[in-house]
Amino acid sequence: MEYLIHLAILFSIYAILGISLNLVVGYTGLLSITHAAFYGIGAYATAILLTQSGVGFLLSVILGIILAVLASFLIGAVLSKFDGDYYALGSFGFSVIVFSVFLNWQSLTRGPLGILGISKPELFGIDFSSNFAFLILSLLFLIAIYFVSKFIVNSSFGRVLKAIREDEKAIQVFGYNTLYFKLAVFVMSAAMAAVAGSLFASYITFIDTSTFTLMESIFILTIIILGGLANLHGSILGALFLILLPEILRFVGFPTDIAVQMRQVVYGLILILLMLYRPQGLIGEYKL
Amino acid sequence: MGIIPQLILNSIIAGAIYSLVAIGFSLIYGATKFFNLAHGVMAAIGGYSVFYFAKTLGWDLWLAVSIGMLLAGLIGYGLDKIIYKPLRKRKASNMVLLVASLGAFTALQAIIAILFTSQFQTISGNIGAQNIYEIFGGVITQTQLIILISAITIMAGLALLLKYTMFGKAIKAISDDEEVSKIVGINTDKIIGYVFFIGSVIAGLAGILVGFDTGIKPTMGLSLLLKGVIASIVGGIGNIYGGVLGAFLLGFVENFGIWKISGEWKDAIAFGLLIVFLIFRPRGIINN
Repeated sequence: MEYLIHLAILFSIYAILGISLNLVVGYTGLLSITHAAFYGIGAYATAILLTQSGVGFLLSVILGIILAVLASFLIGAVLSKFDGDYYALGSFGFSVIVFSVFLNWQSLTRGPLGILGISKPELFGIDFSSNFAFLILSLLFLIAIYFVSKFIVNSSFGRVLKAIREDEKAIQVFGYNTLYFKLAVFVMSAAMAAVAGSLFASYITFIDTSTFTLMESIFILTIIILGGLANLHGSILGALFLILLPEILRFVGFPTDIAVQMRQVVYGLILILLMLYRPQGLIGEYKL
Repeated sequence: MGIIPQLILNSIIAGAIYSLVAIGFSLIYGATKFFNLAHGVMAAIGGYSVFYFAKTLGWDLWLAVSIGMLLAGLIGYGLDKIIYKPLRKRKASNMVLLVASLGAFTALQAIIAILFTSQFQTISGNIGAQNIYEIFGGVITQTQLIILISAITIMAGLALLLKYTMFGKAIKAISDDEEVSKIVGINTDKIIGYVFFIGSVIAGLAGILVGFDTGIKPTMGLSLLLKGVIASIVGGIGNIYGGVLGAFLLGFVENFGIWKISGEWKDAIAFGLLIVFLIFRPRGIINN
């Protein structure tokens, strides 16, 4: 039972990451491979604040969001000038740069050694240190982010995003400055990823750089492509599927280090097979 | 030995390695117009083949090197036939091809790690004992000299091949317009298959040379790929001379950059260069 709760918590964290990335990749058609960077910024903000100052969890989440907004604003300002594969490549580059910062700014992040002993959250006097309580908390965040995202994609703003995806030139002719829209959705998506990062840091109580690599960005991308682009339910479905998949692999009984690599093989194959046979994913509404 | 001559030498050696990766990447991009992110893994396949055949099985070194290059070439060719060709037939977008290659990269890299563990390993038994030469006040090892000579040979050979053979002209025609090439009777699928083979063989060689110079690990392909991608874009994508130019520029910027900053920031410096180019000159030095 305890283990199921653990999986459910991981699921809600990855569902948040999937939903937020889907805003950029699915709805706006911009292939971003740098989501783990903002996930990491949120995680480090919470980890550092909770271990080194008396600041509470909620404040650390807010600070993580602010930092992710600042970082994504700078990164997005460059990226928004591009589209298609150049966008993908540029975001690839930023993912490496942010990772270098995590790894090398050792006085702050302790690099590969990681940060230990991050405390479990306490909000409004309620203690969330038991796993069940934490699950409730992370599900609440997931629900909040789901509804915010739903509001975004159904608003007139969301319709402009889809128009950018279908034909950026055409919507520019109507007088929309698409650069602002691309930047805005990128920043919103990064802010949500930072929330997922804060939850992760506070749940696992230990973080190091190995969580926020390029591979993590690829994993989140696999979630949303598998579930389906431009469909918020798809991202939830994708996260559920890919969190449970390693558990099925576990029954095969590989040694741990091989099991980790086996998972990567499976993720890679999923991406290839989807591209070959079902590029819209399980319930997607948009094909790359 | 002075520091400046040594830095210049190091830059040239780095440039030679990067250009080997970049020309294959650029050649493939020219013919297919998508960023083949699986290209870097070919380098790891080359390196690990030599490790297995020469060091584990104790076969003749030259035989092992030939097998390594051939194997890299065949796997590159196989990826084209199994994954990319069916996608091209269906007129899939570049993004679909890019995501498929991302999947191929993830899966192949993990397979290498399963077969050979993810530890760092060396190919040559006695790195410290190799001959060292002094040129213009800097030192260069025998391996590095071989890197330089083979890079120059490959580049010259490829330049002649592209310029003076029918095959080279066919590649140029496909790069300009695949549809028209088909109409005038060029078997584009066959030619593109060969392009994948040649590009992957060269990447395999790059991996083998890096293996002799420093060592191998499964993720080596990713870092080489990133450098190759940056070199190609900085130089002018799709143009192999541009790729070479970009590779040497990158080698110099990186090596002089870490002289002033510090070694850990090498990747960030490389991507910094890419982003500067993406902002100010997205078509690269050789603008076509």
